[in-house]
Amino acid sequence: MNEQEIKATLKTYILNEFLPGEDPAALTDTTALVTTGILDSLAVLKVMTFLEERFGISIKPREAVVDNLNTIPDIVRLVTSKKASSAIG
Amino acid sequence: MLTKDQAYSPPIETNMTLVEELFAKPGFVGRYARKLGAFVAIVVQFGLLVLVVSDWQLENLSVSRLMQLAFVGFVIHHLLPLRFRLRFFAALSMAAVVLIVGEMGTRTFVGALTGKVPLADFVYPLIPGVALVAVGLGLIGICHLPIRFGARVALIAVVGAALAFLRAHSQWFPDVKEMWVILGSMFMFRLMIYLYDLKDPRAPFSPARAISYFFMLPNICFPLFPVVNYETFTSTYYNEDWRRIYQTGLKWMFRGVIQLLLYRLIYQYAPLDVSKLSSTLDAAGFMIGMYLLYLRISGTFHLIIGLLHMFGFNLPETHHLYLLSSSFTDFWRRINIYWKDFVMKLFFYPIHFKFRKLGPLWALSIATLMTFLATWLLHSWQWFWIRGKPLLDWKDFSFWMILGVLVLVTAIYETTRGRKRALSPSRFSMRTRLMLGLQAGVFFCGMCVLWAYWSCQSWGEFQTLLDAASKPSWRDIAIILGVFALVCICGTVWGRSTRETSEGQSSTTTLRPFRFWPSAAAVAAGSICLLVVPSLATRTMPGVQHIVARLHSDVLNAGDMALQRRGYYEDLDVGRMDKWQWQRQEGTPEGWADGKKVFYRERSDFLFADIVPSVSTVMGGAPISSNALGMRDREYTEVKPANTYRMVLLGASHDLGTGVKDNETYENLVEDRLNDKAPDPRYSRYEILNMSVGGSDILQRLLRLQKQGLRFAPDAAILSVAAHDRQFVIEHFRKILTLGTDLPPDFREIFERIVGKAHLHAKMPKAMIERRLQGYVGEIYEWAFRHFGSECRRRGIRPIVIYRPAPVDFEGVESASRSEIIPLVEAAGLEVIDLSDAFDTVTDRDSLIVAKWEDHTTPLGHRLLADKLYERLVPLLRRASTTVLSTDNQPDRRGPLKPSTEHHRE
Repeated sequence: MNEQEIKATLKTYILNEFLPGEDPAALTDTTALVTTGILDSLAVLKVMTFLEERFGISIKPREAVVDNLNTIPDIVRLVTSKKASSAIG
Repeated sequence: MLTKDQAYSPPIETNMTLVEELFAKPGFVGRYARKLGAFVAIVVQFGLLVLVVSDWQLENLSVSRLMQLAFVGFVIHHLLPLRFRLRFFAALSMAAVVLIVGEMGTRTFVGALTGKVPLADFVYPLIPGVALVAVGLGLIGICHLPIRFGARVALIAVVGAALAFLRAHSQWFPDVKEMWVILGSMFMFRLMIYLYDLKDPRAPFSPARAISYFFMLPNICFPLFPVVNYETFTSTYYNEDWRRIYQTGLKWMFRGVIQLLLYRLIYQYAPLDVSKLSSTLDAAGFMIGMYLLYLRISGTFHLIIGLLHMFGFNLPETHHLYLLSSSFTDFWRRINIYWKDFVMKLFFYPIHFKFRKLGPLWALSIATLMTFLATWLLHSWQWFWIRGKPLLDWKDFSFWMILGVLVLVTAIYETTRGRKRALSPSRFSMRTRLMLGLQAGVFFCGMCVLWAYWSCQSWGEFQTLLDAASKPSWRDIAIILGVFALVCICGTVWGRSTRETSEGQSSTTTLRPFRFWPSAAAVAAGSICLLVVPSLATRTMPGVQHIVARLHSDVLNAGDMALQRRGYYEDLDVGRMDKWQWQRQEGTPEGWADGKKVFYRERSDFLFADIVPSVSTVMGGAPISSNALGMRDREYTEVKPANTYRMVLLGASHDLGTGVKDNETYENLVEDRLNDKAPDPRYSRYEILNMSVGGSDILQRLLRLQKQGLRFAPDAAILSVAAHDRQFVIEHFRKILTLGTDLPPDFREIFERIVGKAHLHAKMPKAMIERRLQGYVGEIYEWAFRHFGSECRRRGIRPIVIYRPAPVDFEGVESASRSEIIPLVEAAGLEVIDLSDAFDTVTDRDSLIVAKWEDHTTPLGHRLLADKLYERLVPLLRRASTTVLSTDNQPDRRGPLKPSTEHHRE
């Protein structure tokens, strides 16, 4: 799965799970998810569980930080780096 | 060894100074002028805020000194090239630790430089600060030792345990005792975060950053300092334009000042004494007042974070409109987000990840409850560093666990049902907003009840609160509903919150447009108002003078003063002190009240306490001694000398003269004047035997006269009464009832009558007994005055009552109390000397109390009382007939038994 596919999957998940009824075009790469409260601490847990199950990666508690989760590209970067490190491992 | 900077975005500001930039870029002059204008505006605002903090005496003297130091430091810091600023901040922070822990004022500093202060006197106070810096640097050094990370953590744990042991035995090293509270606040939690971030570094580490992080400037005056995330602390340093960072800091500091003033208003005027609640409205006021006392913490946090902004740390906002939270999870996400992120990072996420195989709801439940358990334990740990012993009581534990369960229930609801989120605020419909407002109102009420439960000192006090709230009138209900509606409206308008984390750098997409000049104008205008309006208001409206004076100083409120008074015959039970008032208690000099243990001895009977004969000690900050007869007075013979007119004075601690020297009491001053010029030629000598005992109520004073005073064959007995004697009467009654103390035969009838009427029994909570007695104090006084008159007349003693004003009328009850007591004295046919105008010439009434934590009368107050008492006692001693003296010194020619209202002062 490439970055674009990860991004699309992720965006669909966030829209369906947390922003039902919102215009998909309004959720852009620069939309801050954590610092604007769209993803609160409980939502962060849901997203991380989703990422682990959907992309087969393992995320550590210390990686549940705003820098990894604030925008869709941040999350995509986390997923790709995890996938890359698991592939190397 | 400190690791190299990695994954770090450098500050966005150029590394050049303004002057270097001037020549480097074309067209810079215009921008330079604009920047200079903005900088001047920032300096002016900061200067005004420094004046406001100093003028209103916010928190304590150290905060004022800190603000002055920060102001000077800010100007220098800003003018330095960026590469030197962090190092300067680190150095300034360490210097502040040394100077402020040592309470080094500018005068001492200058005195040492000019040789007026001896070197030893200059150096000695610096020892605690230097020790703190040395221990702190040692701890930071251990974090970076070139050994395995686990070994470093273990070493920190061992050193931490050793320091905790020394904290618990701080009396072993009295020279450095001032350092423990601040050392604890700087390192007890931040070391955990620092090590956590050091294990997998995502932020840069360097000596200047580490020193700035641990010793950060404002911490020195605020032991309840927020737990700041290290990564956020370093990554937000000048991450935006400096004008925006500084102006935001100034705005938050101003907001903090307003919150601290509101706190003071509530602290002084809200009905915070459970035993005095008389209605459902009072009970509601108590609950709201207790919750709003938290403004002190939120105000302090705003001041701290704002101050850090002035040095480039663009930290996120905390306590964002937390009073308008719509649920317990919302509250938890708003109130102290620095703490929330700390426990989420170190406890919630690791525990959740550990248990998530059990399923999301189980993992959520276990992690939430464990996190709140950790919060309770960490608060106890914090309490330990502040007070020297941990706070491990059931009520504190139950509060945190109840809060944890409520947060969990809301979290489960949000997880399973979801919560309304939107990409833009306009997506929230009016219906959603109204629901939010309603939720805010309901949550506010729930939180007031929960907070009141936490704040009550015992389950009995909480029962008393419910007892007071149990019979609402329609008026009470209407007012309470009005307040509820107001919170709902505010929640509808302002209740929606977006940001919930303190982590990460601010994103430009999340920031609203920034307008520098309107914000600067608002802060400057607000600060000027705070400086000017109070003096204007007191000049144009004399009625507000008392309120302004109360708000302008950091004195204890009536309730806490009452606790201090209570300490005269009950050991001060620190558990009863308001949790947020620990600082005030810490501020009381060590040994201030120790003298009372030497001066008084306990009795098991109705009198409860006596003065130990022939002792000398220090009490209330002044030397005090007793005579061989067990009085705070000069030596007298038990047998009255010939040609002597002897009086006994029956009063409490003010009459005894706590806080003044032996020869400064009003009783001794009057006695000296009477002997200088005898008013009646039949007597060559006048004696006033001071039989006052601290904390005694009117009934104890009467019994003391009967049991101890009659043997001195007095010609007159002077019974001193004052407004706050109510408290002593109520506490004395409660003590007799709960302890089952034997009653003297004369006093049994009144005691049993009142107990019956107030439906009291010994098993009731103390606060409930005291609350129910409030309505019967007048009846007790009435009986006491009649008993005093008849007992004295039966023995040929002249009964005189003096009404003594309190130096400061904390509760605003002086006038009502006087209006209640004096008619009762007159109705009993007693002579009364009203001294209530004794202090009228004093504008600053705080100058009449010994200390801000103790309301005893100063030497000046005693002199003023002596002036009035002498003036009004002399004509009375000259007259054989019993007449009543009014404050204008005109004798009442009517019969002594006829009640009069003409004597009452307007």
